[in-house]
Amino acid sequence: MSLFVQSLVLGILLGGLYALLAAGLTLYFGVMRVVMIAHSAFLILAAYLAWVFARETGLDPLFSMVATVPLFFVLGVAIQRLLIARLRPATLTMMSVLLTFSIALVIEGLLGYVFTGTQRRIQLPYGGADIEVAGVNVAVVKLIAFGLAALSLLALYLVLTRTRFGQALRATIQHPEAARLVGIDTERTAGYGFGIGLATAAVGGTALALDSTIYPSMHWHWIGPLMAIIVVGGLGSIPGAAIAAMLLGMGQALLQIPLSTTWAQTIFYVALFVTLMVRPQGFFGGRLAQRF
Amino acid sequence: MPSASDRTRGPGLTTLLRLAGLLVLAAAVLSFPSVAANPFILSVGVVIMSYAVLATGWNFVGGFTGYMSLGHAAYSGLGGYATALLIIESGLNPWLALCLGALLTALIAVPVGIASLRVRGASFVIVSIAFVLILQLVFQSWGEFTGGSNGLRVPRPFGPDVLRPEQHERFFYLHAAVLAIALLAWWLIDRSRFGIGLKAIREDEDKAQALGIPTFTYKLVAFVVSAFFTAIGGGLYALWFGYLDPIFQFSILIGSYMVLMSLLGGIRSLYGPLLGALVVGYSVEFFKNEYGDTQFHLVATGLLLGLVVLFMPDGVIPALAALLRRFRPQASSIREVTQAELAEQRESQESGPITQGAKR
Repeated sequence: MSLFVQSLVLGILLGGLYALLAAGLTLYFGVMRVVMIAHSAFLILAAYLAWVFARETGLDPLFSMVATVPLFFVLGVAIQRLLIARLRPATLTMMSVLLTFSIALVIEGLLGYVFTGTQRRIQLPYGGADIEVAGVNVAVVKLIAFGLAALSLLALYLVLTRTRFGQALRATIQHPEAARLVGIDTERTAGYGFGIGLATAAVGGTALALDSTIYPSMHWHWIGPLMAIIVVGGLGSIPGAAIAAMLLGMGQALLQIPLSTTWAQTIFYVALFVTLMVRPQGFFGGRLAQRF
Repeated sequence: MPSASDRTRGPGLTTLLRLAGLLVLAAAVLSFPSVAANPFILSVGVVIMSYAVLATGWNFVGGFTGYMSLGHAAYSGLGGYATALLIIESGLNPWLALCLGALLTALIAVPVGIASLRVRGASFVIVSIAFVLILQLVFQSWGEFTGGSNGLRVPRPFGPDVLRPEQHERFFYLHAAVLAIALLAWWLIDRSRFGIGLKAIREDEDKAQALGIPTFTYKLVAFVVSAFFTAIGGGLYALWFGYLDPIFQFSILIGSYMVLMSLLGGIRSLYGPLLGALVVGYSVEFFKNEYGDTQFHLVATGLLLGLVVLFMPDGVIPALAALLRRFRPQASSIREVTQAELAEQRESQESGPITQGAKR
């Protein structure tokens, strides 16, 4: 029983991180109809930056976000404005996949070139500490990672629902032409949407660096589950992505009890196939998801 | 009213030129083993031919329907493993195992295709990557059946008396034969009603559907045919190389090579993937030989793919063809024009008083 509760808590903590990253991934799709394969490569890049920051300055890696979050935001805007926007609209979905895929390859290659393929890990003074929550032991770093993810998701939610920019962004997602008609600069809004998406990767990467061993080719182990999550949740739907991330994260943690870690990962792919067979538009997707 | 297939010039010269080109190509391929300086060059030739088979196989779905699969390494890997396991587990004749393995892979591709092709592109891409990742996981973990991370040794199809250079030569011709069959199949589909339907899907799926093309069935058939040829390529490679490792068989990088080769050569042209395989395959082998296995491959592949996508999405062959066309009389056929070109033509026709139709 305690093993079950322990796994459940771990699943929730993991699901929080998945939720933040999947929200970013589905945001790109919403604003530009782009499947951003490089999302997880930027995640690993942020993790490496946090690692370098901690190694060079001796400060807590969390402070690296002061630099990486704005940097990634600007990078995201630049990728949208300088690269994605250049592609022909008729073949945008396919060509943008190839383009972001090539960005992912370049990042992975450069990380491997600069830092070699060696597995890296940040040594933290509180790295081994546990806290007892509801009768189960939870590593402090996992709690911090979850807290970061939850805070960022909350901030994203507030921006999307409470600000004028958020309204413009949601309008751009729902109907770009209509959004332009009411005077929204959809190009610029899409650029900012991209920036926010990439900023989630910066936060997620820092959180990841706290309690994981990182290596350059790791991003493939993240992009698969994340893509599965956004399809299950319905492409373009942020709440859908968050809910699917929580459910699948918990499912993965619970499956790790009877199965090995590797086989437990297949839950994402099984969920992906089942969703596409039963309900191709995803479980929370709107009109948008039905066409892709 | 001129029909769409009318040409401004007679077909005689073009056909003759094409035949001559085909003969030169065939002669170049067939004479390569005798020209190759040493067995190493010959083995590079086999690798490039293998890439050409894989890229042409990829192009059945990528070129006709415009659906870019990044995970086609799944089908070459499955073809390789199916061939190897059929030989090892049931003692089948290697060539029979190759064909049976490819058929099995095509069978596996059916449910994957059904899941990924019901909706438009985005899900297809996601499934294509997810499928190759899941296969890598499964083949690494399922040690007792697939050999796991230790890899799998594939029995040689030829006896021990056939030496390595001789092996390379035989496999070079085998790959060439498979490539010829794949190209012929592509050419036949290209000229068929089925092919026209597929190309309509590529240009505008909504309109194709409105015109009564069974889009889902067409896409699925093209996808399964593509998986079949890719699996044959993978199986043949397995028989030649003699060793399978899940990391390399189900690698994202192999899949991206297929895309890069086809895209660079031109996915709309019959010989595009072959040309791309020559260029990319040769450079890959050259860099491996010069600099060894470094992360540099990833960067170079990524940069090249990005540049092609941004600046030459139609490939080298159409770019060169467009250059040639400038010195020729203008064609009036609309058979092979993209939506973007049509829009351009429309705009230029609206602005200029003399249309191409009026000239005739």
